[in-house]
Amino acid sequence: MTSNLWPLVELAARPLERDEREAVVGDALETGDGIWQALSSVLGLVLRRQLLLWKSLRTWLATFVFGLPGAYLLMIVSVSVTCTYDRLMGMKVGHWAPTGHEGFALLFCHIFLLIAWSWASGFILGSLSPKTLWLNAALCCWMVLICDDHLRTMTLSRVAPFLFLVPAIWGVYQGVRTVRLRRTTAFLLAATITVLMIAAWTNSALWIVNWLLLCPAWFLVAMARGSGNDSNAVQNKSMAARARSY
Amino acid sequence: MLGEFEYLLITTAARLGDNAYGAAIREGIEEIAQRKCSIGALYTTIERLEAKGLLTTWMGEATAERGGRAKRMVRVTGKGTRAAKEFYDAVMRVSSGASWAVSRTERLS
Repeated sequence: MTSNLWPLVELAARPLERDEREAVVGDALETGDGIWQALSSVLGLVLRRQLLLWKSLRTWLATFVFGLPGAYLLMIVSVSVTCTYDRLMGMKVGHWAPTGHEGFALLFCHIFLLIAWSWASGFILGSLSPKTLWLNAALCCWMVLICDDHLRTMTLSRVAPFLFLVPAIWGVYQGVRTVRLRRTTAFLLAATITVLMIAAWTNSALWIVNWLLLCPAWFLVAMARGSGNDSNAVQNKSMAARARSY
Repeated sequence: MLGEFEYLLITTAARLGDNAYGAAIREGIEEIAQRKCSIGALYTTIERLEAKGLLTTWMGEATAERGGRAKRMVRVTGKGTRAAKEFYDAVMRVSSGASWAVSRTERLS
């Protein structure tokens, strides 16, 4: 049984793992299900699979500990960075704009921190829960839109969300592919972020809540793999399993 | 202890033997149990039973009627057979003396 609408069933089955997708779509074709019945069957399975993911602590951690709060804080920081840039360039900034009195050196420090925080948060989302990425992406975009709406009175630059979205998306991509960083790499990243945050803090250029953005970097250290053969084998096995799934 | 649907699935897979795969099991359950079996329920249960070691699965051959897609073949393990027997025995024990069970026995004899 085929129909012009059959690609809809294939599309609906995309979130399933490759072998399961093949078996399920094949079963629907073999039993001669109508297009709508096949579609509802596949969507039902996809929904069950998504719900089962929420039995894992990793999914909750990824979404509600790192994803949503991270997106909110990073959006605020990117707004602050664009406002500071506008102020330093002599442009008019609103009275309530989140900008201090820092100069270019601290602005660059903030920009580096923003990129590093965003990359680390994205990496965790990608490695902790790759199967809920689309949901997390939708929730984070929703959070960004809420912030954007809330802060619209400040005549924000439209560039603000992209300052953290681009490195975050890059981090997600790396997280899905790499799963875990090497311990030395993770430690260097976390240590650099910590030192820069201390520097910004001592110059009164850091909001106290921003310290929460340190968590993803040190979480990466905790999750990092050693340099031994065993950990490499585990890493390779994990990457191969992911490659088969997608 | 197995659940009712798990028992149905294992029994149907065991009856089908070497021909046990997703679509065939689904058809078997619908035919024997006279109830609708969704693909979602079928595959999530297969996965759960496999995780418990009651079934093993592997990807089988692709056929033209399936649009060149492979089947997910299913085999009941020894542990699965024991679990199904336990469930069956428990149902028999708990049913003894019940009016419907007596009338069923009488009908059979």
